[in-house]
Amino acid sequence: MLESDKGTLTTPPRMGGGLERWAERHLRILMLAPTVLILLALTIFPSLYMFYAAVHKISPNPDLPWQFVGPGNFARLLSDTQFHVALRNTAVFTIAAVTIEFLLGLGLALLLDRFIRRLTFLKTVLMIPMMLPPIAVAITWKIIYEPQFGVLNEIMFRLGLPLQAWAGDVNLAMFSIIVADVWQWTPFIFLLMLAGLASLPVEPYEAAVLDGASSWRQFWDLTLPFLKPVIAIALLLRVMDALRLFDLVFILTGGGPADRTKVLSLYIYQVAYRFADTGYAAAISLFVLFVTIVLSTWFMKRMRLAE
Amino acid sequence: MATIRTRSRRREMLLRLSAYLVILVALVLTLFPVYWIAANSFKFDIDIFAVPPEWLPRNPTLKHYEEAFIERPFLRYALNSLLVAAGTTIVSVAFGTMAGYALARFSYPWQWRKQVSFWILSTRMMPPIVSIIPLYLFFNYFEMLNTKSALIIAYTAFNLPFATWMMKSYFQDLPVELEEAAMVDGDTRWGAFLHVALPLARPGLAATAIFCLIISWNEFLLSLIITLTEQSQTLPIGIAGRVTQYKTHWGEISAAGFMACVPIVIFAFIVQKHLVRGLSLGAVKG
Amino acid sequence: MVRKFCLALAVAASALAIAGAAWADFTILVPSSAEGDGLRAAAADYSKMKGTKVEIVQAPYANVFEQAANAGATKSGVFDIILMDDPWIPFFAENGHLEDLTPYFKNAGMEGPDDDFLSKSLAICRNPYNTGPYVCLPYVGNAQMFFYDPIKFKEAGVETPKTWDDVLKASKALTEAGGGRYFGYVFRGGQGNPVVADFMPIFWSYGADLFNADRSKVTIDTPEGAAAMKTFMALRDVSPKGVESYNANEVGTALAAGTAASSINWPDWVATFEDPSQSRMVGKISHSPIPAGTKPGSSEIGHWTMGIMTASKNKQEAFDFMIWATSPEQIKISAERGNPPVRTSTFTDPELTKQEQFRHYPVLMEAIQASTPRPRHPKWPEIENAFGIELSKAVAGTITPEEALKNSQAAVEEITGLK
Repeated sequence: MLESDKGTLTTPPRMGGGLERWAERHLRILMLAPTVLILLALTIFPSLYMFYAAVHKISPNPDLPWQFVGPGNFARLLSDTQFHVALRNTAVFTIAAVTIEFLLGLGLALLLDRFIRRLTFLKTVLMIPMMLPPIAVAITWKIIYEPQFGVLNEIMFRLGLPLQAWAGDVNLAMFSIIVADVWQWTPFIFLLMLAGLASLPVEPYEAAVLDGASSWRQFWDLTLPFLKPVIAIALLLRVMDALRLFDLVFILTGGGPADRTKVLSLYIYQVAYRFADTGYAAAISLFVLFVTIVLSTWFMKRMRLAE
Repeated sequence: MATIRTRSRRREMLLRLSAYLVILVALVLTLFPVYWIAANSFKFDIDIFAVPPEWLPRNPTLKHYEEAFIERPFLRYALNSLLVAAGTTIVSVAFGTMAGYALARFSYPWQWRKQVSFWILSTRMMPPIVSIIPLYLFFNYFEMLNTKSALIIAYTAFNLPFATWMMKSYFQDLPVELEEAAMVDGDTRWGAFLHVALPLARPGLAATAIFCLIISWNEFLLSLIITLTEQSQTLPIGIAGRVTQYKTHWGEISAAGFMACVPIVIFAFIVQKHLVRGLSLGAVKG
Repeated sequence: MVRKFCLALAVAASALAIAGAAWADFTILVPSSAEGDGLRAAAADYSKMKGTKVEIVQAPYANVFEQAANAGATKSGVFDIILMDDPWIPFFAENGHLEDLTPYFKNAGMEGPDDDFLSKSLAICRNPYNTGPYVCLPYVGNAQMFFYDPIKFKEAGVETPKTWDDVLKASKALTEAGGGRYFGYVFRGGQGNPVVADFMPIFWSYGADLFNADRSKVTIDTPEGAAAMKTFMALRDVSPKGVESYNANEVGTALAAGTAASSINWPDWVATFEDPSQSRMVGKISHSPIPAGTKPGSSEIGHWTMGIMTASKNKQEAFDFMIWATSPEQIKISAERGNPPVRTSTFTDPELTKQEQFRHYPVLMEAIQASTPRPRHPKWPEIENAFGIELSKAVAGTITPEEALKNSQAAVEEITGLK
């Protein structure tokens, strides 16, 4: 680490006016300032608003005063069955989707890294899904899943398999959402894993080969530990995004059938904008924020990411 | 990766063959839905729902492109998206790079580096749905509703944490010695950053830029609330508008959706060399 | 160096941040669908004629409500007029977002809207329903109609479907003969608004309703409700698999593609069925008012109405525009642009009705006059959501129809506080 502030490097002689000298001296603050200020400006107000709203009952009528209810909105979380359903669905979705994306992404990256390393072109092609607008992705999958005219059922029909209602089937709806999400976001994990693999050091592998370690052992003892930080960040980012899944559910199922795909952000959206219950929506959001922060702090500690 | 223990050539061939097969399947699965958007955009509505499906448009038509880009202001939406995405990317990459460099290179009192890093990341964890109401109030107060600048500011807030973290880990992996040498040669601190660290970080910048570009090009929820007219509305809003109460205009949506991915894909191919390399040096090492 | 870099940044940032909207004389929020396009065209005519600048804000249908609610709750005054779906009226009116139009009518020397408007179209524009002051004016006259394929129905032994029993009889035969590729009936089963919208007409046709007449009791779990539910479930059994995620679009497409014989839908589809680029069934789809159950059939009304927001600063201009846009001449132009009218004179205008594309007008007018509004309650979105969840569960078969009625009764009692 460069510790110039402590004087390892002296201020060079070739300096301009007072402003530049001043800027140079406070560089560590100045370089950080824009980011911190922008984030402060745009998160402080929403956060305060959210905390304040969460302890009030807010009528959509702007002429009525906000009514202080203390922890009332949070108490509602305990008895609200729709919230519990949404919580469970979100957990199922997040765990399933991120696990599948991770396994597929890592597997594909390993294969490409080992067998066709040179074809950058191919790698970029495999990344196309994550570049599409999620709303267009959702609508495309809707056409694919369509039970009467969809391509998927046509393929099932050709293969002699029973036709399914996919997004319209109680038991397959969540699965259908997961498949669409996996399709769009596996490339993200794939890209990060490729990057991780490309920066692996060579020497340990040469040593392992000399020791006669099998490919499996090499993967388990060398590749995986080396990749750990990349894996950690990839999972963290994906989990954070999976927790706020919205577009796919909004377009494909609207939370149905039978509430099987109602996820938290859809529920927050309904409470905030359909039922116009801002206070309660803020309470649910705070809960989600709290869970996200606790989870990621724990995860980062475990993975020693903050260092 | 390293060579594998000597084993029979046949087994290696078999392995290679099955690997190619898996990659081929992955390619087909990846590309089919994209192809399907493209194919549907050239079909009449009735043919989109043909049974069995028309794998190739039998009666190709440009009708939906006309509807989207001539009858409806999708060109305008695309231009807005482009300006907003470019603006966001420039601002987030510039600020994120500086912040990332500062967090990677400078020391701060009281463990600030760790705290600030985590705080920056944690701003990304807020569920966007509820921050919409306060953001709406915020932009309304400054009379910035329905402006592209408001979108750029909001998106920058969403992209900065990611950009900062990517660049921070990238700089951490760059050797310090080069910058030190430049400073010994009489360069300023800022000069060392600008002339030495920045050029070395070019692949990292490319990778960060494409992520910012993808996210701001495709963002939906914030744009929905902040923008009102075609003066500032972006492509995803235009696309969502074609799902009406009575009807979903599949053809138009396919045409617009397909055109929406073209610029990003082109950009991805231009920077593809940097993409993997940019992430690989550091990026994600933490 | 620092200065140069910062300067470059500032220039880049400000070059990209192009100035905000120059707000017009008044602004209208509309959905980005046929209704919005129609009003947009009318506003353009108005601007040309009067020299006033009218700004049109188009939002996706699903988001018009929250755009308007946001503007109302924050008193931002960005919109002067909003084009509303009629079930939203109680929410906006009872939360103080909508201006009472009475003084404006008085100023203009009018008692209220003239009686050329259909009475049902005017009734929804008053809050409380049919008795309170006017808070908006009707612009697009929608009500559900029953669409069916007369040839197929005749094959199945039903000449004209008059009752739900007729529909059921024909659908059953057609679905059985269809071998999983053709169905007698199809409906919107998507959770929330869709499934509720396609259940309500059946519900009403059996004399059931969500509330009793003076809205003091929830009346979902009643013998009438059970009878309606029985028919609904029987119809589900003859509908294609997957209706659980269907909305108006999928239902219309099934008829247009010729894979289903009948459904409830909005008049917007009449034109689509007759367009060869969108339909295989040109000239083959008939329509009628909603079939009867034990009581006469009643369709759900789905009007688009214009109201003035209380935070508006241009209320008089807005009112003048609304009066102009709903005048007989303008409603006729609007009809010619593809939006169903709200005036008797337009519905019966021989110049229109003799044209093929308006041949559904007599049926639509009948449907509107026999329509029922969705229960007028400021918490309707919440009620619809709760009811929609239970109906979706019943359609998917995860609970029995009896449980669905019981749960809905309890949920709606909880939301409305009526026990």
